[in-house]
Amino acid sequence: MDNTLAIEVRNLVKRYGNLTAVDNINFTVNRGEVFGMLGPNGAGKTTTAECIAGLRQPDGGDITVLGMKVGPDTHRIKARIGVQLQTAALYPLLTVREVLDLFASFYPNQKKRVNLDELVALVDLQEKAKTYTKALSGGQRQRLSVALALVNDPEIIFLDEPTTGLDPQARRSMWDIISRFRDQGKTIFLTTHYMEEAERLCDRVAVVERGRIIALGSPADLITTHFKESAIEVQTPASPADTILSNLPGVSHAQRENGRLTLFTVAVLATMAGLMELSESGQVTFKDVTMRRATLEDVFLKLTGRRIRD
Amino acid sequence: MKAFAKMFTASLKEFARDRTAFFWTLAFPILFMLLFGAIFGGGDSTQIQVGLVVEDQGSAGEGLAQAFSNVPVIKLYRGDRETELAALKTGKRGVVVVLPAGLSQSIGSGQTGQVEVYYDPSQQMSTQFRLAVVQQVLEHTERHVTGNTPMFSMTPKTIQAERMRNIDFLVPGILGMALMQLGIMATSQPLIALRQNQVLRRLGTTPLPRTTVLTSQVTLRVLIAVAQAALIVLVARLVFNVQMTGSWLVLLGVVLFGGLTFVSIGYLIAAVARTEESGMAIAQIINFPMMFLSGIFFPVEVMPKFLKPVVTAMPLTYLGDALRQTMVGASALHPLTLDIAVLGAWLLVCLALAVRFFRWE
Repeated sequence: MDNTLAIEVRNLVKRYGNLTAVDNINFTVNRGEVFGMLGPNGAGKTTTAECIAGLRQPDGGDITVLGMKVGPDTHRIKARIGVQLQTAALYPLLTVREVLDLFASFYPNQKKRVNLDELVALVDLQEKAKTYTKALSGGQRQRLSVALALVNDPEIIFLDEPTTGLDPQARRSMWDIISRFRDQGKTIFLTTHYMEEAERLCDRVAVVERGRIIALGSPADLITTHFKESAIEVQTPASPADTILSNLPGVSHAQRENGRLTLFTVAVLATMAGLMELSESGQVTFKDVTMRRATLEDVFLKLTGRRIRD
Repeated sequence: MKAFAKMFTASLKEFARDRTAFFWTLAFPILFMLLFGAIFGGGDSTQIQVGLVVEDQGSAGEGLAQAFSNVPVIKLYRGDRETELAALKTGKRGVVVVLPAGLSQSIGSGQTGQVEVYYDPSQQMSTQFRLAVVQQVLEHTERHVTGNTPMFSMTPKTIQAERMRNIDFLVPGILGMALMQLGIMATSQPLIALRQNQVLRRLGTTPLPRTTVLTSQVTLRVLIAVAQAALIVLVARLVFNVQMTGSWLVLLGVVLFGGLTFVSIGYLIAAVARTEESGMAIAQIINFPMMFLSGIFFPVEVMPKFLKPVVTAMPLTYLGDALRQTMVGASALHPLTLDIAVLGAWLLVCLALAVRFFRWE
């Protein structure tokens, strides 16, 4: 086995009754890499993460973590990984420091003891160290949950939807914390359904839908592979704008959603000029023109015909 | 071992900081005992509160009054007919004996003296006993007056070494109730919560063995059971002067064993119930019938016949019996070994089912 690989997943299959949650997935995660699984709820991201972490028994395939086979070596693997689960309710009547202390005791054979006070500082919970966990806000609880995944100084950290349900500010602070882990050289396996999160944090992203990987690569590569174009969004009624605007110079294709038309163009200036002409002649009425680069969201939309958060 | 100690301390802290759990397991049984003790435990249950109304002016009236006051089990009150009957109605007298005017004349003229005895028929059980005592006094006096030598003399004897008061009967029952509730409610509820909150799943991502999770929890519960027992025995002794008659070591054994049995039932509830609410419902379905039918508060003899099979099957029947004979030396329903054997059977069956059906997520 290649020593630079942190995780290797081969032909992974997991079924729940008639539903195939994970349908023959293959990928590898390099050491020191932030690897993201991006997809809508129910796409199989969490199930994949749980199979790798040894929480669920796969119905088929092989998983290797840090050179050890999941299954026979699960117990040894658990000592070297850290897992943060989606729901983070933890011993409501213990303090932050007590829960960390408790979880640290589960790893008796650690070579290097993690300084728990530093860990509390790392997730910005210094002022809450003596607070019962039930009194924490959603964001603080989530940060504690992430800190718990670090008490054994793990080589791989699994973060399952770490920012779901958080307000924008709490989300940003969580991103900062995850970036710190990345800077420490940890391997991070992350699942999310937030495009922005995947784009900002991940070195590579696997886009999943219905238990299959439909695209895999760095966010930038994914976008440039699927979109050579830039995107111009206009708010306009469908008829007759769609036909006319789709035929503007430079436009390769157009997508309509929620009263807005997105034009993908290889020649931004030519398309913009065309739009202005139409506006002045009064042929088409539109407002609120925005220009942006294509995003992972566009990639997902193009590949699946729907948005991630439907 | 360190993980076990930490898990144990964590559960202990959670228990001590959860005021609801703390109240129900430690304070409630004590309050219950104080309340029950205040209501039913005041008097000696073998002492009969007799109201005596002497309307007769002659020697027979005074003689009978003297005879009643000589009987040790009778606490005698004297008053007029109206006040004594009122006292009977409010339960302050067990029985009221009226010696009507002209009683002495009737007896003097060779007629049978009519003594009126009032009692409350709703108090059936004890009334028969009280009437028997009054009858006894009258017969004894009669023989004395008529000069017949009594054919029998009766020495009252109880089947117990010491006379049992209501409170002596109650205290082991309250301890039994506390052990049951610790097992079926205070064990199943936190466990279901840990599973519902995914804490058990989260623990599953660490190398911590599952056995450590279970053994630390069970150890804590059993130690709480011992603390409960100590507290109840102590308060019973200080407040109601309930003396322990049996061996402390045997009591400790019975408490540990009974606690363990009900903790295993609590685990079975946690295995079967999906949510805390359904767990509570199941616990109450078990709790209520056991509390009232197992004989911990009411003697098993007064239960209707058709309930006998239920009473016989309940583990609390045997724990209550074991505690009662160990603590206050009450006459046993079953030998202690049988009590322990039945509890052991319950323990094994529930444990096996709990292990079989327990879900970690």
